[in-house]
Amino acid sequence: MNASGAPSSIATHSVDTGADAALAAALAARDPASLRDAIAQHGPVLHRIAFRMTGDAHEAEDIVQEALLRLWDQAPAIAARHPVGSQAAAALRLGGWLNRVVTNLAIDRLRRTRRLSGVEVPDSEDEAPLADQLIEADERDRSARTLIAALPERQRAAIVLTYYEELPNAAAAEALDMNIKAFESLLLRARSALRKAYAAGMGGDAQ
Amino acid sequence: MSGEPILPGSPLARVLDDYPVPPLSPGFADRVLAAAEGRAPALPPLRRARVERGWRIGQRIAIGAACFGALASAAAATGLLERFDIPVPSAEKVWASLTGAETPAVAAPVVRKPEAVTAAATVPLAPVVIEGPIDKPAELSEAFRRIDEVRQGRSEARRQIIDQRIDRAIERRRASGLPVPDAEQEARLRQRIDEAQTEREARAAQRIEAQREGLRQRVENGEALTRQNLVPNRQPKTGLLPDGRRLRELSPKERREVLRNMPPEQRRALADELLKRREQRQLQPVVSDPPPAFSEPSLSDPTGAPDASLDTPPR
Repeated sequence: MNASGAPSSIATHSVDTGADAALAAALAARDPASLRDAIAQHGPVLHRIAFRMTGDAHEAEDIVQEALLRLWDQAPAIAARHPVGSQAAAALRLGGWLNRVVTNLAIDRLRRTRRLSGVEVPDSEDEAPLADQLIEADERDRSARTLIAALPERQRAAIVLTYYEELPNAAAAEALDMNIKAFESLLLRARSALRKAYAAGMGGDAQ
Repeated sequence: MSGEPILPGSPLARVLDDYPVPPLSPGFADRVLAAAEGRAPALPPLRRARVERGWRIGQRIAIGAACFGALASAAAATGLLERFDIPVPSAEKVWASLTGAETPAVAAPVVRKPEAVTAAATVPLAPVVIEGPIDKPAELSEAFRRIDEVRQGRSEARRQIIDQRIDRAIERRRASGLPVPDAEQEARLRQRIDEAQTEREARAAQRIEAQREGLRQRVENGEALTRQNLVPNRQPKTGLLPDGRRLRELSPKERREVLRNMPPEQRRALADELLKRREQRQLQPVVSDPPPAFSEPSLSDPTGAPDASLDTPPR
């Protein structure tokens, strides 16, 4: 269970053996329905990762769209390497592949934005007056977003993948293209930085 | 520790959990589908296969070794290594060193045997020293051998002089704009000259052999031969100087000095004699009809040198 209450990506990993290979084969055959299936199956997870990485809904949709289009482009090669019914097909996990693509795209955009503007990702929040409850929720939301946005890109990705998406360390390390030891070290640093930021900003118990 | 997992229900976890994600916009799937349909097809895979680094290095080493081997083989085949005193073993020796077998001595004695027999028949094994008059057959054979060596050298030099004269004549005619023989005519001319030369040498050899047979008989009869017996005066010497030498035997410098110191009458007589000999040479008949475009020269004496059959003493 993650923060938004949506199904975690663990469920995505428990698909039937060879289902991703069949989906890749359909995508390679340029079947638009298969792409729609892929969007329905992986879109929400990818969107959550991208949104929590960037803090911007439009940017997150762009990233997800780009990742799905890359899947569309690479589908023939993927299907060729993992023919349906083979042992390689059983090992194919499109979710993991898409997680890696989205994470890398998000990190690239964050770095590019920081390089161009010199500041963090802009906050595109609507400043129109809201009801008190919405204002309170927004303040809580903003505090969480500020905490996440204060982390470096890779530490941010580590928290998003393990805390929010509840990915195992091995899957998260694979999404970041790291070995498991390096990822665990990164995750420790990310948690430590998060707690320090929370303690400094909120003055509460970080545990 | 600050790096421990974030416990559910902790204040930090409550703050982090209050980070809702808006849903995807309603037309997101349609936009992705539209973008996918308008997307250019993927590029074909690269034709060049990915080569691993180890094999790349090995490939370069193999190419370098092959190039080095080819260059070394070429150097050994052209004899370049022997010029630098680098011994190049034969393939049999290399194979024998690899296999440990002895080098087969194939045909070596068979090849050398007739040579040894021939050498023993013609040239004695010990060097023959000619002391004083020639009174032994071995000394006479050694004298003949030395004479033959000189004759052989002169014959070769004469042929080279002939070739050079032909080349110079052709070049001179070409420079003057006169017709020159084509390749076929030139080859025919050279062949005729060679044939004439060979015939001339054969006649001389026949004559010399007859003379030598007589000399051998005289030595076998116990007669001692001197230099004058071996180098007979076959023709009256013209142009003899007061000291008995011929003018052509002198060096150019000595020749100029002698002519300068000669009395005018003697010098005029000598000049007349040389002029007469030159006219006689020019008046000698041509062997065959010259071709219309190019007149081939006379073959009577292409070098202008007298026959050097036996007039050179052994050295």
